[in-house]
Amino acid sequence: MKMKTKIEEINRNIYDIKNKDEYEYKIKKGLTPEIIAEISKQKNDPDWMKEFRLKALDVYNSLTLPTWGPDLSELNMDEIATYVRPKTNLSSSWDDVPDDIKNTFEQLGIPEAEKKSLAGVGAQYDSEVVYHSMKEELIKQGVIYTDMETAVREYPAMVKSHFMKCVPIYDHKFVALHGAVWSGGSFVYVPKGIKVDIPLQSYFRLNSPESGQFEHTLIIVDEGASLHFIEGCSAPKYNKVNLHAGCVELYVKDNAYLRYSTIENWSKNMLNLNTKKAIVGKNAKMEWVSGSFGSKISMLYPMSILNGEGAKTEFTGISFAGKGQNLDNGFKVVHNALNTSSVVNAKSISKNGGTCTYRSLVRVNENAKNSKCSVSCESLMLDDISRSDTIPTNDIQTDEVEFSHEAKIGKISDKTIFYLMSRGLSEEDAKAMIVRGFAYPISKELPVEYAVEMNNLINLELEGAIG
Amino acid sequence: MEILKLNETPIRTSRNFNINNINLKNVSIPQVIGNFNNITIFNKDTKTNIDNHISKCPLLYGVGENLISQVNNSANQTINITINNKTNNELIIHFDFDKDNLNLVDNIQINTIEGAKATIILIYKTLEDIEAFHNGLIRVFAQENSNIHIILLNLLNNKSNNFVSIENKLEKSSNIDYTIVDFGGKNSITNYYSNLIGDSSNNTLNSIYLGRENQLFDLNYIGELRGQKSNINIEVQGALKDNAQKHFKGTIDFKKGCKKAKGNENESCMLLSDTAKSMALPMLLCSEEDVEGNHSTSSGKIGNKELFYIMSRGFELKEARKLMVRAKFNKILENITNEAIKEEIFEEIDKRLD
Repeated sequence: MKMKTKIEEINRNIYDIKNKDEYEYKIKKGLTPEIIAEISKQKNDPDWMKEFRLKALDVYNSLTLPTWGPDLSELNMDEIATYVRPKTNLSSSWDDVPDDIKNTFEQLGIPEAEKKSLAGVGAQYDSEVVYHSMKEELIKQGVIYTDMETAVREYPAMVKSHFMKCVPIYDHKFVALHGAVWSGGSFVYVPKGIKVDIPLQSYFRLNSPESGQFEHTLIIVDEGASLHFIEGCSAPKYNKVNLHAGCVELYVKDNAYLRYSTIENWSKNMLNLNTKKAIVGKNAKMEWVSGSFGSKISMLYPMSILNGEGAKTEFTGISFAGKGQNLDNGFKVVHNALNTSSVVNAKSISKNGGTCTYRSLVRVNENAKNSKCSVSCESLMLDDISRSDTIPTNDIQTDEVEFSHEAKIGKISDKTIFYLMSRGLSEEDAKAMIVRGFAYPISKELPVEYAVEMNNLINLELEGAIG
Repeated sequence: MEILKLNETPIRTSRNFNINNINLKNVSIPQVIGNFNNITIFNKDTKTNIDNHISKCPLLYGVGENLISQVNNSANQTINITINNKTNNELIIHFDFDKDNLNLVDNIQINTIEGAKATIILIYKTLEDIEAFHNGLIRVFAQENSNIHIILLNLLNNKSNNFVSIENKLEKSSNIDYTIVDFGGKNSITNYYSNLIGDSSNNTLNSIYLGRENQLFDLNYIGELRGQKSNINIEVQGALKDNAQKHFKGTIDFKKGCKKAKGNENESCMLLSDTAKSMALPMLLCSEEDVEGNHSTSSGKIGNKELFYIMSRGFELKEARKLMVRAKFNKILENITNEAIKEEIFEEIDKRLD
């Protein structure tokens, strides 16, 4: 019998490091106004934030679960603790972070990456940010990079005018949930004209079982400024469901540039119901780079709203679903001004019974004349017990538009293997090259360190034929 | 007046995308009394049997529950066509709507016996300025190695409502080709489903739509591939002017076991005004590894370069546009060999683009 090439799933040794479930405070499980009020008290919220949380809880209770996508019936909010404060305060030196937490981040390579290739790092452990630091020269230029709680206290006007305005709590049930229980996350402000050449990174780690992480990331890149922000996330695997319902709000002002890169590697008991949205101004550019490898269920559709004339966006993403995973990911873009453009390049790999779905929306409004949009998605099936779906919605409301969408689904082509072999490659090398080549458009968009990590995530063990 | 919730997609997506189904507010299903008499059948030959004995079996999809129930319980025309052998004759059936034949609820069943071959042309046309209603079901059972081409022309006026449900079952090495010309109706809602159960079965759906004024087209085309080496091709070309709207929902579903199956769908919409609206949901669903699936959609107006070229040859803008639309549709209409019918379609195109 012909041997099959095995494309191994992610080597999770590093990510599955489990620390003892120690915390300073863990809120009781469930969702009630009393619990929300207690979170607000624990976090020392200003009054407006407490009221906001309680209103969000009302909205959460009024909205239904989605009638589409993966089955979320196993999620029982009565079994989830929405706030877990670790046994440490926020530090700006790794030496002050407790050893077990520090060791976890060291094994994940965060302090090392900070030294080598980052301009600033934020590290969140369960519900609170435990480490935040940024290079001195950026502070002098007026760049703000801090945890969300500090931002609420120290920059109230800026936070109040942007917080959950880009992603309103009415968007869907899990945004409302986020509004009620959010904790941690990062706040970034890049002043007008400042170019941050080296990336900032926030890393989110959820250690506590049967809990949720609800970090809020708010980034404002002011006119003419630029930034590359990297988000990483992981958790060890437990037997019961954990929940991640973070929220990312990005404001890319006129002529500004923002690249938002994500390597998501949650454990396979995680429901990842995250929401990310960017509002893009005149002649500004928003780029999303996304690698989705972890989670039991993921429903993640980053969105760009092109509000300014000449605004641009690009989405480059890959999903890899293995055994027991259902990754329902995609992208949404709304063209809402003249001469806007978008380019979408999405890929997915399904194996070992995993399910990948690409779900998207392209909407070109009547006022978005002379807009252009090009979408390409490719899905690779590595066995016959997996599943791959492509569900794109395209809504074009004006004639002055160039819109095209292409999608392909299938296995590795025998012809391509034959071609490479005729050029002297062994069958195994040919197949390895094809799979790496499939992921290359995504990995080339990542900083080198992260591209290496992503390639390591897709280990190839070659023993014969694919298919 | 109740809201008619119709044409649900096989898999739902976000409700906010407004494409899972269509809600029609100002349409009521009329009570149908008496037969629809204005039917003319041409070119019936000895290899074809026609009667009105329809066998009832449940439909997997269909336009909507109310409308399917009407077809099953109160159709005013039932036609059962059996193709027994190969024939080069084109069986043509005209359904002409006038003030005495306003409402047609038809149930058409077509059986192609093993090895048979035929072409059937169904033409629905309003002869007067009336508000007609058409609710039809076409079921085709293609037995092994049979081959059938069905040409469906919707030439109703823009005051009428047109609802069509189609279900095809394809056995081993059978072939069903459809050419659908969808021009008429204030609302024209089509649900097309092919079940490619036989190995090496083949289904081609070529469809054109042309919308103007406030016309709404909701096209829900579904192909499920079960047989090994089965193949489906969906090619849709359309043009929209004025405030016309189109929803194209195309689903190619590779079921487990359909090894070496192929599925392609392409939809292209030419926008002829800045108030026309085009929505598309081209889905590929796949639970089999050894398959090839492709889809593509595109929307946009006629290129200025092309218009400039044609106008530089002495054509006015309106004529140049007509030429471009004709050229786009011609690729589909080449499948119609009946020159008289093809000419009638081109006349309709010109009339509707005036």
